Amino acid sequence: MMTSRRKFLKTAALSGASLVIGFNGVRLLQGAKTSAPFQPNAWIRIDADGIVTLTIGKSEMGQGVRTSLAMLLAEELEADWTHIKLVQASPWPGSDLGTGGSDSIRSSWKPLRQAGAAAREMLTTAAAARWKVDRSSCTASHGAIIHSPSGRSLNYGELVGDAAKLPVPQDSPLKDKKNFKIIGQRTSRIDGHDIVTGKARYGIDVKIPGMLHASLERPPWDGAKVKRVQEDAARSVGGVRSVIKLSRGIAVVADTSWSAIKGRTALAAEWDDPPKDAFDSETHARRLETASRETGFITRSEKAPAGTGDITKTIEATYHYPFYAHAPVETMNCVADVREDHCTLWVPTQAPERLQNRVGELLGIPADKVEVNITLIGGGFGRRLGFDYAVEAAEISRAAKAPVQLLWSRADDMKHGHFQAASVHYLSAGFDAQGRPVAWKHTKAGSFHNISPLDPKEAHDVAWYQDWSWGAYDVPYAFPEIQTAYVTVNLPVKHGPWRAVFAPSSVFAREAFFDEVAQARGADPLAFRLEMLKGADVIKVGSTVDRRRLRRVLEVVRDKSGWGASIAKGHGRGVACNAYFGHTYIAYVVDVAVAPGNNVRVERVVAAVDCGLVVNPIGVEQQMEGGIIWGISSALKGEITFRGGAAQQSSYADFEVARMHDTPAIEVHIVPSDGPEPFGMGEPPVPPIVPAIVNAVVAATGKRVRSLPIRPEHFRG
Amino acid sequence: MEKTELTINGAKHVVQVDDDTPLLWILRDTLGLTGTKFGCGVGVCGACTVLADGQAVRSCQIPCSAAAGRNFTTIEGLSPNGSHPCQRAWLEEEVAQCGFCQPGMIMTACALLRENPNPTDGLIDKVMSDSVCRCGTYPRMRRAIWRAAEQMRSPKQ
Repeated sequence: MMTSRRKFLKTAALSGASLVIGFNGVRLLQGAKTSAPFQPNAWIRIDADGIVTLTIGKSEMGQGVRTSLAMLLAEELEADWTHIKLVQASPWPGSDLGTGGSDSIRSSWKPLRQAGAAAREMLTTAAAARWKVDRSSCTASHGAIIHSPSGRSLNYGELVGDAAKLPVPQDSPLKDKKNFKIIGQRTSRIDGHDIVTGKARYGIDVKIPGMLHASLERPPWDGAKVKRVQEDAARSVGGVRSVIKLSRGIAVVADTSWSAIKGRTALAAEWDDPPKDAFDSETHARRLETASRETGFITRSEKAPAGTGDITKTIEATYHYPFYAHAPVETMNCVADVREDHCTLWVPTQAPERLQNRVGELLGIPADKVEVNITLIGGGFGRRLGFDYAVEAAEISRAAKAPVQLLWSRADDMKHGHFQAASVHYLSAGFDAQGRPVAWKHTKAGSFHNISPLDPKEAHDVAWYQDWSWGAYDVPYAFPEIQTAYVTVNLPVKHGPWRAVFAPSSVFAREAFFDEVAQARGADPLAFRLEMLKGADVIKVGSTVDRRRLRRVLEVVRDKSGWGASIAKGHGRGVACNAYFGHTYIAYVVDVAVAPGNNVRVERVVAAVDCGLVVNPIGVEQQMEGGIIWGISSALKGEITFRGGAAQQSSYADFEVARMHDTPAIEVHIVPSDGPEPFGMGEPPVPPIVPAIVNAVVAATGKRVRSLPIRPEHFRG
Repeated sequence: MEKTELTINGAKHVVQVDDDTPLLWILRDTLGLTGTKFGCGVGVCGACTVLADGQAVRSCQIPCSAAAGRNFTTIEGLSPNGSHPCQRAWLEEEVAQCGFCQPGMIMTACALLRENPNPTDGLIDKVMSDSVCRCGTYPRMRRAIWRAAEQMRSPKQ
């Protein structure tokens, strides 16, 4: 059972023999004395047996967050690494547990270490008092306080009773990074053994007493009405308990997963034909292209300084970016147990509070009557920031009057997700009479998220629009004149966060077009990037871009890849780079081979990353490799298309993703950083890999590629 | 519904389910062996891979009626305490990210190495490419298979 705040406090108060510290990034407080205004986001508890339990709300979905957060705590606490246990927190009123935006490490960096340091100081004080010695003669190490002069030591477990009576220090000294023993070390996943033995429990593995299984037939397009449905046929399937009509489709509830699946097939639901103007992705692409010629909302405008040469030549290009699905291997699922005045959910989610509020609204009960148990997630990628599947499960459980597990089929997952939105990018560059690039213009026509309503109170100012166009407005290159703009195009199908959110489309267009500018200039694309990253070392354009860090990662991939060496016919080498939010800097050099059938294969990727201070090098490498493979899927594999208002793809057979045989040789170089803090790694590897592949394909074929995914017909003939 | 006797991880189980119930759902819903995952239900993703008499099979494609008389091994029964060379190699190469597809991947790799103790890279690619890992752990999986192959050829005492 997961721990809610109320239960936890009770336990803490009753046990007495534990040291409990709650923290919210602002203040630290001892559990037993918590007063109402203090709302911690995480807890550490040290028990008499020396076990350290970290209760934290961040969702584990493969980014290794449980391991890296435990490392932060263990470092300052001087804990025995093998004595740390992680417990998933559940939301409570006022909590803020969501996981997204590659933000977990960055936002936990200080508070988690402060909490660990506070506990360490309290244990030290307790030990010094017990021994009646000066506390400065005591040191903490490996889960014990040691008094070197007398050779005595006490394990943390023996001190927690005394330490719990002390006030929590708010400003305990943090370690200097040169004294780190755990942070920066190659550290294996805390949950690795569970994964390889099949013991890891994901949302889909939850089973509670009396639980039924549901499958939901949804309308294929928004607003479709059912024409014919064989309810009796579904009811006659063995194990089917009920067929329930809901706001979002027809649910079949059964004793087992298989009965629910069979019952749903037996429904043989037929739906209205879509209207003639139903959503169509080809029509939408044309609408986006038209919109990309509008002025839009200017997100950045820099006029050329006096003395800049007049523009005598302009090149322009239009880049098309398609729809993509998240397609995690664990499909959407949720167990809901709705009772008269409360509800319990077990759900793989990245957005526990929003989910809690929405289910509370649905059921007409206060949010704190909705208990959310966050499970392990079999692939998140932003999909589980949406919570449609949990709302559906709650609706079905309420109607079925029983605990129900709703499991989406693979086709449900492909067709009813919230997609990465298509966009069109119109770029142009101006050159002076000497052929020097003097102007850069990038207009993105795209769509905001629509999976949750926008806050009407939010000011729709420059910062707001910049938020929707990362990678476009923060172009790092030193063009004397820069204009970036955003044009909003209505998009009726569901779309929302996806790995790296708004950056992949913009960075694809920006980095591919930058190669066109280099070509027009007759310059080497990598040398030209370095040249255009001169000028001010740091630019502030919403986010802060440190060009020195970007230059450094480019120089590393140049030197490590053998950039400039001659390449065999049919092969090509490309480069691209990006500063993610001004936090994580990445450059890639990609080698591709284009086979006679025009099929592209990525053969080698040389990567350099500067993510600030590195917490776990293994985690950084894994995210780099995973982000590269993700990008290979986007560049070369499946896209989602819509006809008649519905997504046309239904499995990994028609929305293909990269597989083992698509995997290149990958070299990841972690660039040592003098940065004082760590930055996220889940999303940043994604945006620059696609344009590096595109640029390599252009180098190999001599044909421009301006739309994704890359298809042989793009460079035939 | 007739009773069917199944052999899973060396133990006999008598189950009473519809004949067409896929082994996947018998494992997960009836026997509580949730290490075998549902990923697509149509044999495309490999998440539900188990061993049938040592061969890798998709448990979502094997109806109960075809499961009797065969010896199945799931991730839970692969070894006591995760000691199979593939499981050890998976940990040593730090393969897993979200981990969801990994039981199926490990079972596929086990079957590959059983038949080919010294597989070429081409064969590893061919066999493993029947399965999907959306986190992109393929480079590490490839290395884990090399490592496991080496350990199986010359097991350390």
